Amino acid sequence: MIKLQNVEKVYRTSSIETLALNNINIDVKKGEFVSIMGPSGCGKSTLLNIIGLLDAPSKGQIEIDGSPVKRYTDKHLAELRNRKLGFIFQSFHLINDLSVIDNVEIPLLYRNSSAKERRELAQEALEKVGLSNRMKHFPKQLSGGQKQRVAIARAIVGKPEIILADEPTGNLDSAMGNEILGILQKLNTDGATIVMVTHDEAMAKKTDRLIRLFDGTQVS
Amino acid sequence: MLRHLFKLIWNKKGTHSLLIIEVWAAFMVLFGVLTLIVFNLRNYLQPIGFQYEQVWNLELSSNQDTTELAPKLQRAIQRVRSYPQVTAASRMSSNTPFSANQIGNSITYNKVDVGGDFYYTDGELAKVLDIPLKKGRWYAESDRVGKYVPIVINQVMESKLFQNESGLNKVVKRDEKTSYKIVGIVDKFKAKGLFMSDTPGLFQILDKDDRWNSNILIKTKPGTDANFEAKLVKDMAMMLPGWGVEVGYLKDSRKNRENLTLVPVLIFLIVSGFLLTNVALGLFGVLNLNIAKRKGEIGLRRAMGATESGVTSQFLGEIWVLATFSLVIGLIFAVQFPLMNVFDLDREIYIIAILAAVAVIYIIVTLCAWFPSKQAAAIHPAVALHEE
Repeated sequence: MIKLQNVEKVYRTSSIETLALNNINIDVKKGEFVSIMGPSGCGKSTLLNIIGLLDAPSKGQIEIDGSPVKRYTDKHLAELRNRKLGFIFQSFHLINDLSVIDNVEIPLLYRNSSAKERRELAQEALEKVGLSNRMKHFPKQLSGGQKQRVAIARAIVGKPEIILADEPTGNLDSAMGNEILGILQKLNTDGATIVMVTHDEAMAKKTDRLIRLFDGTQVS
Repeated sequence: MLRHLFKLIWNKKGTHSLLIIEVWAAFMVLFGVLTLIVFNLRNYLQPIGFQYEQVWNLELSSNQDTTELAPKLQRAIQRVRSYPQVTAASRMSSNTPFSANQIGNSITYNKVDVGGDFYYTDGELAKVLDIPLKKGRWYAESDRVGKYVPIVINQVMESKLFQNESGLNKVVKRDEKTSYKIVGIVDKFKAKGLFMSDTPGLFQILDKDDRWNSNILIKTKPGTDANFEAKLVKDMAMMLPGWGVEVGYLKDSRKNRENLTLVPVLIFLIVSGFLLTNVALGLFGVLNLNIAKRKGEIGLRRAMGATESGVTSQFLGEIWVLATFSLVIGLIFAVQFPLMNVFDLDREIYIIAILAAVAVIYIIVTLCAWFPSKQAAAIHPAVALHEE
């Protein structure tokens, strides 16, 4: 489903060259729940950005569903992100000026779907994460766990095949973290392929496979 | 997407209220200035209705002299007409073309009362100013014997008094004592210049013994120069000892007169230009700051499927929505002007000014939002998400 071959990422400024990722080879199968672990600054988020087509590798190749994405235009990449991928972030990235349901609808705005269809899909997604009673609320009125559940609803509203989660439990206490992991596991059981970046060994152990990074290099 | 943008801006209306007021104020000022410009431009595009190129205005002032003024003035005009350099000459009231003087009164027909400019002059004025007639004729000396005072009116006066009927040979009243008979109708007579609107006007024959109206309009032959002017002034001074004698060219008076209209328009334009520049700079600054504060959102939208052009369109769309809020408030005020017929201007003038002001506001906000929106689109999504 997701294949990375010899991926390398170098950040260059006028005076410094930093190797963020070095020779990464990953093959995530359809329906797998994979976690990526490593210390801070080891390149986990960079790797997730590359998998999520938010950043391009300096070297190497990415394949999604067997198709290399190297020469895709901005429009094509945006469409792939919209249709195939769902993102969950550590800091939730909710828009404070929009209600919960309007936040969840955002991915559908970039598709040709009607307002009614958007509303129905958003309601359905919020029901899945148990927040159907908070639809009219604004993010500032929610707890951290509720915000992350809204972010999950937003990630799954477009029914993507792949969910990329960047430390989804990082800002939550352990009880809330377990609850969020439970939702992700349920989504995985329902067929979603999930790649999750985490610091938490215990969380990582609950996934199908663990990829470890150290100083930009894949160590397991 | 439009609904989404409306919702986004509406939810942030508190934050944007000052910006909305600023755009509203800019719209109102622009509407005022554009109304003035459209009004003057429309007038400018209408013909003035007479020729003034070779016409001089001889102003005679009797000063302390109070004896036999009428015969003196008659002799003076006869003398003027006798010069070979003069094609035609006409006596006229002090409200000569392009002068600052105005004489107003009203006439009534079938209970319809219409006010307008009254010009007291002899029948020669048509020759001096080449005023074409639409109907009838100019009055002549022989008309003085009639029961009614002969007058010539302009087209606007005719349509206001008689609507679709012809005004020719109709008798109208000035007051209980004076009735006029319309002997001719001219098209336009914009005595205050091209920027004057075509308002009702009336030419009334001068009394034979009139001694107050002492302006003489002189149509000179082409090539007549200052030597003749000097001779004319000298001759008049000799003929009318103690009188003031002054000669002005209508061509010059026209420029002075029109400058009086243009200068305030220019001042308003400069003031509104300054205001609009301030609004534009304010908008530019606010948008730049907004984009810096919303990098996380930009990254999120890119991750959710927005293209670079989609981000540009979103920020442009937001500013258009914001401008639309301001314009809706502005329009509530602006439409009162044509609806309530404020300043008695044509509705069309206000409508054109409103449309032009709306267009200018949208152009300004688009120009101001274009660069920040492009900048927003250029932000790398991974960087934007990392920065929050």
